[in-house]
Amino acid sequence: MSGRAERSAGRWASRAVQLSFLIALLVLWYGLTTWGHVSPILLPNPLAVLHELIQVITTGEFVGDLLTTLSELAAAFTISMVLGTIIGYLISRSPYLIEVFEPLLAGIYSIPIILFLPLYSLLFGLGEPSKIALGATISFFPIVLNTIAGFGHVDRIFIISARSMGASNYQLFRRVLVPAALPIILTGLRMGFTLALLAILGSEVLASLAGLGHRIAELDEKMDRAHMFAYITFAVVIAAFLNTVVSWLEAKGKR
Amino acid sequence: MAHAPAVDDTRDLTGAAGRQGVGAFLRARPWLARLGVIVVLFAVWEIAARFFVDKMFLAPPSLVYMRLYAVFATAGVPAALRITFFELTVAFLISVAIGLSVGLAVGLSRFTHRSFMPIILLLYGTPQITILPLFVLYFGIGPASKIAFGVSHGMFPIIVTVIAGVQNIKPILLTSAKSMGASRWQIFRWVIFPHMVPSFFTGMRLAMSAVLLGVLLAELYGSSVGIGYFTTLFTQSFDPTRLLGLVSVLAAMAIALNELARRAEMRFSRWRSA
Amino acid sequence: MTGEVAIRVSGVSHQFGEKGDARFVRALLDTSLEIARGELLCLIGPSGCGKSTLLSIIGGLMEPTAGAVEVGHQQVRGPLPREIAYVFQENALFPWSTVIENVKLGMLFQGVPRPEQEKRARHSLAAVGLADFADHYPGQLSGGMRQRAALARALSLETGILLMDEPFGALDEQTRMVLGEDLSVLLSRTEKTIVFVTHSLGEAVFLADRVAVFSARPGTIKEIIEIEEPHPRRPEFITSEKFTSIRNKLYALLHDEIRKAVSESARIDRTETGRGGSP
Repeated sequence: MSGRAERSAGRWASRAVQLSFLIALLVLWYGLTTWGHVSPILLPNPLAVLHELIQVITTGEFVGDLLTTLSELAAAFTISMVLGTIIGYLISRSPYLIEVFEPLLAGIYSIPIILFLPLYSLLFGLGEPSKIALGATISFFPIVLNTIAGFGHVDRIFIISARSMGASNYQLFRRVLVPAALPIILTGLRMGFTLALLAILGSEVLASLAGLGHRIAELDEKMDRAHMFAYITFAVVIAAFLNTVVSWLEAKGKR
Repeated sequence: MAHAPAVDDTRDLTGAAGRQGVGAFLRARPWLARLGVIVVLFAVWEIAARFFVDKMFLAPPSLVYMRLYAVFATAGVPAALRITFFELTVAFLISVAIGLSVGLAVGLSRFTHRSFMPIILLLYGTPQITILPLFVLYFGIGPASKIAFGVSHGMFPIIVTVIAGVQNIKPILLTSAKSMGASRWQIFRWVIFPHMVPSFFTGMRLAMSAVLLGVLLAELYGSSVGIGYFTTLFTQSFDPTRLLGLVSVLAAMAIALNELARRAEMRFSRWRSA
Repeated sequence: MTGEVAIRVSGVSHQFGEKGDARFVRALLDTSLEIARGELLCLIGPSGCGKSTLLSIIGGLMEPTAGAVEVGHQQVRGPLPREIAYVFQENALFPWSTVIENVKLGMLFQGVPRPEQEKRARHSLAAVGLADFADHYPGQLSGGMRQRAALARALSLETGILLMDEPFGALDEQTRMVLGEDLSVLLSRTEKTIVFVTHSLGEAVFLADRVAVFSARPGTIKEIIEIEEPHPRRPEFITSEKFTSIRNKLYALLHDEIRKAVSESARIDRTETGRGGSP
């Protein structure tokens, strides 16, 4: 049984498949635009996209929009994090409150809250406040639900043994409840962050005056295709980067 | 599992209010308390809309729900609702078809799983909203782009859960079937497939939310005949009454569809005991 | 029990992984054995001694790295569903089908025609005492009942040989006792050749015609003890002097091997994070 040799051969073969998939896609893209007579308005040449991307980065063109998006994200997430954890903790203090509020919150969570975007646009206008409000609203729910779950389901045996050793309320909170609940809460925060990012990018694309999402929609309207693709790539990479950082933080916090 | 201190157990049970009567009555009926919370929220909405916010931006619930008929009476709204529902249904069905076939194709072989899973997860994780304008570019402003965007969102949860359902099967079940002489087809038909069904339904529940999101996002971006046309119309003409009414209808539809998917999932996951 | 040989194990050795691999394990070393038709042979030994590995090899679920197994007059190279039925320790019933559907599924794989399936299923469920639970789901049954169902499934295949890998390992003492007695009664009525792996000394002595005692890893048969006592074994057998003396003999044979196996595994656990292979 050549287990080990067999296994690494398998892994190399998988990598080869992934690589060839990627290469095939790039070749297809290049081929369609260079020899395939596909209009550049529909599909820009990958080299043109690359050129635009380099331009955008080196001229610092992206800075304004990126700052807008990131500041909206920071504000929205801060609001939902603070409100979500505090409210979640307060609800978790009583099993009755948990029973009353958890189904309600879970129920609202099941509605695609993006539906409220027109309402928020009407109420807050097209500027940053409506994006922040929507981002905060959407990301609030996973945070509050996970906080409730985290604090509400701490194993009683931990509390009993801490009490039996004379722990005060504050000590119990700091040394038992928080560490026990932290993994679940961190997951909720990560989910909230991801949702806030999506909500903000989404509302920027749909109804906004500034930000990365808005820029993509704007370039689409202008039919500046290669430029638009460059921004899409940029936005996707930024999003991937942020999500990776947040996941890493989550894992670090769980240690 | 209360985190109340063990020493103060009894205090926690009777609650801070400590009063008999209303307190105890509510405690025995959490559903009533929930209803109460909803009533309070609507009351806040009502008061805010009547006294604190400009009439151009917010309408009170009393007005919204009394004038709900006006929403449906608006020319084109019922048709738009039907079209949107049609978009949701078609997108969901296509998502299921693609999700199931891709999920099985990738999940059944260790090699395809190792090769394609990273690609699938990568695609699943990208913020698709950034390419929404491209969907409209390629599929037009009509229902096709809404369906396509819906499928793009909905197929991933199904692919991922079907793969999990196929890959997570306890090896002992496969060994047992092999020891009884089952052929490869028999193993798929009688062991792998039934094992995968609950995961498939979980995927469909998740896909329902995803398809709702995709279709509605696409509608809100710009729609010629779907419901997005009217959300834009009511927003731009500063008609919060009808806008809130329409959004309520859509929210109700979303809740109903999600509940349907959830029940289907429970029905088909019965053998999955603790 | 006739003199005819049902299973012939010749010089079987088995190792997991390659020499030099971190996970290299020599599970079995040059094991030979002849099992007579209609006898119940128990394989007993310390953890990791290879008894379950040997059972898998006999059942065609694994190919040995050296040596061969013959059943009837053919060499075993894969599962022989018409000759060999297997009962596992882990719950191998399909949780999405009812008990009777599970029993019938085995026969479907074997190729038994449908009307016959129903007849045999009902019969074997009655034989294990589960006639009233045919339409229950495995999730609704206790551990002991699930293993009865697994046994019913194996019996319905009407094979000449039954291999059982610690079938009662996951059950509590009292259930084991009851199932052991019922098994003895049941098996006295059939003429199957049974190979039974167990950790329990009492179980081995109570059920078996012969007990093969394994040494610690790499496993090989240290000694075979014969137990002459008619089937079905009566409950009183357990408290008899004969039982106790045989059991003591087994204990003496096993004690050192068990100690060896335990200290060996402690040594391995200190040097690597996980043990390789499985007995």
